[in-house]
Amino acid sequence: MKYYLLLAIGLFLFSTSVSAQENQKKATISGYVNDSTSGEALIGAAIYIKEMQKGTNANAYGFFSLTLTPGKYTLIVNYIGYREQVLEIDLTADKKLNVDLLPNGIEKKEVVIVADRKDKNVQSTDMGRVELEVDKIKSLPALLGEVDILKTLQLLPGVQNAGEGNSGFYVRGGGPDQNLILLDEGVVYNASHLFGFFSVFNPDAVKNVTLIKGGMPAQYGGRLASVVDISMKDGNQKKFKASGGLGYIASRLTLEGPIVKDKSSFMISGRRTFIDLFLREPFIKSDSRIAGNSYYFYDLNAKVNYTLSPKDRLFLSGYFGRDVFNFKSADTGFKVRIPWGNATTSLRWNHLFNDQLFMNTSLIFNDYKFEFGASQQEFDFKIFSGIRDYNAKIDLNWFPNILHNVKFGGNYIYHRFTPTNAYARSGDVVFDLGKVTRFYAHDASFYVNDEWDVTEKFRVNAGVRVSYFAHIGPFSRYVEDPSFPGKFLDTIDYAQGRKVADYLNAEPRFSMRYELNKSSSVKASFTQNYQYIHIASFGSVSLPTDVWVPSTDKVKPQFGTQYSLGYFKNLKDNMYETSVEVYYKEMKNQIDYEEGATPDGDVRNNPDNNFVFGKGWSYGAEFFVKKTMGKLNGWIGYTLSYTKRKFPDLNQGREFSAKYDRRHDASLVVVYDHSKKWTFGLTWVYATGDALTLPAERYFMSAGPPVNIDQSGQVGVNNNFYILSGFDKRNDFRQKAFHRLDISATLRSQKQRNYETEWVFAVYNFYGRQNPYFIYFDVQGNSQDGNQQVQAKQVSLFSVIPSVTYNFKF
Amino acid sequence: MKKYLILILASVAMMSSCEKNIELDLPPIDQKVVVEGYVENGLPPYVILSKTEPYFDPIGQNTINNLPVRGALVYISDGIDTVQLTELDTSINGVSLGGFYVALDSITFLPTMIGTPGTTYSLNIITAAGEQLSSIAKLPFPIPLDSTWFKVQEDLDSLGWAWARLADPDTLGNAYRWFAKRLNKDDFFIAPIGSVFEDRFINGRSFNFPYNRGSIQNSEAEEDNNEEADYYKKGDTIVVKFCTIDFATYEFWRDAENQVSSNGSPFAVPSNVKSNITGGRGLFATYTASFDTIIAN
Repeated sequence: MKYYLLLAIGLFLFSTSVSAQENQKKATISGYVNDSTSGEALIGAAIYIKEMQKGTNANAYGFFSLTLTPGKYTLIVNYIGYREQVLEIDLTADKKLNVDLLPNGIEKKEVVIVADRKDKNVQSTDMGRVELEVDKIKSLPALLGEVDILKTLQLLPGVQNAGEGNSGFYVRGGGPDQNLILLDEGVVYNASHLFGFFSVFNPDAVKNVTLIKGGMPAQYGGRLASVVDISMKDGNQKKFKASGGLGYIASRLTLEGPIVKDKSSFMISGRRTFIDLFLREPFIKSDSRIAGNSYYFYDLNAKVNYTLSPKDRLFLSGYFGRDVFNFKSADTGFKVRIPWGNATTSLRWNHLFNDQLFMNTSLIFNDYKFEFGASQQEFDFKIFSGIRDYNAKIDLNWFPNILHNVKFGGNYIYHRFTPTNAYARSGDVVFDLGKVTRFYAHDASFYVNDEWDVTEKFRVNAGVRVSYFAHIGPFSRYVEDPSFPGKFLDTIDYAQGRKVADYLNAEPRFSMRYELNKSSSVKASFTQNYQYIHIASFGSVSLPTDVWVPSTDKVKPQFGTQYSLGYFKNLKDNMYETSVEVYYKEMKNQIDYEEGATPDGDVRNNPDNNFVFGKGWSYGAEFFVKKTMGKLNGWIGYTLSYTKRKFPDLNQGREFSAKYDRRHDASLVVVYDHSKKWTFGLTWVYATGDALTLPAERYFMSAGPPVNIDQSGQVGVNNNFYILSGFDKRNDFRQKAFHRLDISATLRSQKQRNYETEWVFAVYNFYGRQNPYFIYFDVQGNSQDGNQQVQAKQVSLFSVIPSVTYNFKF
Repeated sequence: MKKYLILILASVAMMSSCEKNIELDLPPIDQKVVVEGYVENGLPPYVILSKTEPYFDPIGQNTINNLPVRGALVYISDGIDTVQLTELDTSINGVSLGGFYVALDSITFLPTMIGTPGTTYSLNIITAAGEQLSSIAKLPFPIPLDSTWFKVQEDLDSLGWAWARLADPDTLGNAYRWFAKRLNKDDFFIAPIGSVFEDRFINGRSFNFPYNRGSIQNSEAEEDNNEEADYYKKGDTIVVKFCTIDFATYEFWRDAENQVSSNGSPFAVPSNVKSNITGGRGLFATYTASFDTIIAN
């Protein structure tokens, strides 16, 4: 019942828009905002009507529409890093207006990092939403010189890194599986290379990144914590361009250009590591002990777009990336090969029904695969897992008048999950690891959302998302004997397409802004989200072995509710943006593996038979000061937060801190544009140490029966002892605090016949802080002498790491 | 498999990782009773009782002497008879075996109970301090190996592993533990890491499998620290003690060996070893052994 009520509210909002539109004769100005040199759409560019002191922002395709009463207006169009355009318009009838903005030269670059209308911070209803302009993050220091979008996001308040050098992140107390990461609308299920040290996003192929960590609008769904929406470059419409670079880790090359000038363009971008090229002939002889070991990763991004007519445009984009690890033991003949990675493809069609109604339709395919193969003499062993989606989506954007911006649409995904499956063989005997198990699911949703200027000072953004999820056959539910894991009392078989379990939910989303004066506002938001697909992780860090599983008859959808309240103020004519946000978040039906579970428990079983369920909550305050203009710019962020979990079957039912419960988390980002030649960057981060479980006590166990009698009657005493650990409270101990300073200097050559080069010098961990990565225990000394001791050792991953990266562009 | 993931990480970490000793301040603990109970076919059951201690306390003769739990009442029942185990206070190599309780008559030293396959045993303990502990375990029927042999490892002249062929019976729930010793070289049967397995994936199948030699924890012997480590060598006479075990014994040693070998792995989630003891830590283990001898040549 509640669903229909919410839908009715949504439709009511919708109808008020319609009636408002009918009041008076109106005319519409609409068009696209593009970069005048490349033709790239400028996502989020601001279009402002001076007379009305109101405006709008271009959408994800650069489209905008303003419906006004006829008259004379002054339009101001601006985008960070571009020259502002002021246009005088006499609006008598509907008018098409494409605006091409000219990029500022580097010397004129006023604002770094964040693209905003100058007072968007205060004016919008957005809370916890940040856009990054990728070209601008390249002057910040990066680990081994490898620029990483996700690591830059970690420098924002409310976003925590997942450990030293890791591109994974946690948003407002949410788990790593609660972030929706989209690349041209395709879901990227595992966004990391090399166990999280580098993200899969080649910065050369990316145009724009938007992070939403609170007040998630209704067009997004399926995750509790955040959305990272990444747009690939469309490709230069005007002329052929090449760019690339060479770093310690990888080399990059991007080509882009027009296919038909001003109508169609392409972009293709590749990145690959090259260390493995030195691990083979002629550098290493093929009979060497270390021959056959290698590791590499690569990414390929490609995109083409075609303007069919002024009303229609097509985009086809794809991403393909793999990590491959090979290991060979010369001694034992043991061989391992582990490939894994993502592939996504999206075909999108933009269509303008009229000047006020914009539509995008997308067909998306994405696939994540992991495989582990090992062999030794007679043995072969393989495990594999993955997830594959077929996704169709329609999004409409309706601009009935200047007071409303309505978005509505629907989405259908067919999921195919492959949880951990295994194959093993010894000689000609194949082990019985069961047939390949998979989960199939329908995932559908509809949404409507309206951003509405209720009064001059009061704006609301209200919407509802209705989501439906069904786990369907073929499926076999193994009913496990609780007292004997691995033994099944019963198997329930579901035929293909038959429903195993389904869920229908409504997710209200609401946020509002009240303007106190021109430079300050208060904002509030309330959102509810459902999440139907989940990762339960064996490890304490994200690994490529992490397996996505759907909601089933056993696994209820995760349900999150977030309340947030913020005060936003700009100072000195928008030179400084400041904000304070507080939030409280509740998460139900959280998932973890039961205590002591191991990955082999998932084989020939339903993985959810090994899950336990509980709840989580998080609250905190985020402080942010940003200097947006001038030669020296950057920001300071600070977050105070608490993140807890409570599971009846973990930690004896007692509440415990999440691993990433971080009391304090601070970051400082400074960019100094010294001259045309030099730019300097500095980042400093501080975080409370991770919560950690340490053994409370130890005990000795003989490794076998102490009294040994063999078949000849000979008696021996087993004096091989294991020191075993007893654990009590989960995550009750803290690692030492984490802090680190990174610096960088970028040297640009003068432009010579369109050929530009850039050297980026960086030092990671400038003052050589030994940050804790993990702790282990070493037994030292001799028990006979009575001086044996267990010593705790802390391992740090990176000390001071200098790097040099070379980039070029022509 | 995790081991190889760690290896990749390690190769990254090699670039600049470093480690240092740190002091950790842990809260005081409530000591728990640790049970090591054994029922083997053909032998009188016996139980060793000790206590847990704070994780970072120094380990030495003093602490080891303080660990035994003396003066407890220990009973074992086979479903028909219940016997009280006799506490023996002996020491071997200067190590006190206090807290050692055996099913022997306190006067005649004749066995009062003998492990018989197919029997379910229950254990009940009341310590002098009043703590009560209990457990139940079944002594399984023997499943001997079909055959055993030695095979030299590819490329290695004289070093190799012990191999065996097992025909697993067609009933689910069989679990096994492998021990082996070299005659005149090892004083007792050694269980290499990975010594236990169960039949969930191999139920009813016949197959070959190898075991390495293993070693005692932190062994300082030369052969455990050079290229011979973990290998048998031509000329060895290997006695294999292949045991069928209770499922709880399998689970305990699976977890215990896992805990010992993944100490400090950043990927491992710290967790307790699964125990079949109610009221304390440890294991009431059952082993039904069959023996084989391999002459390595």
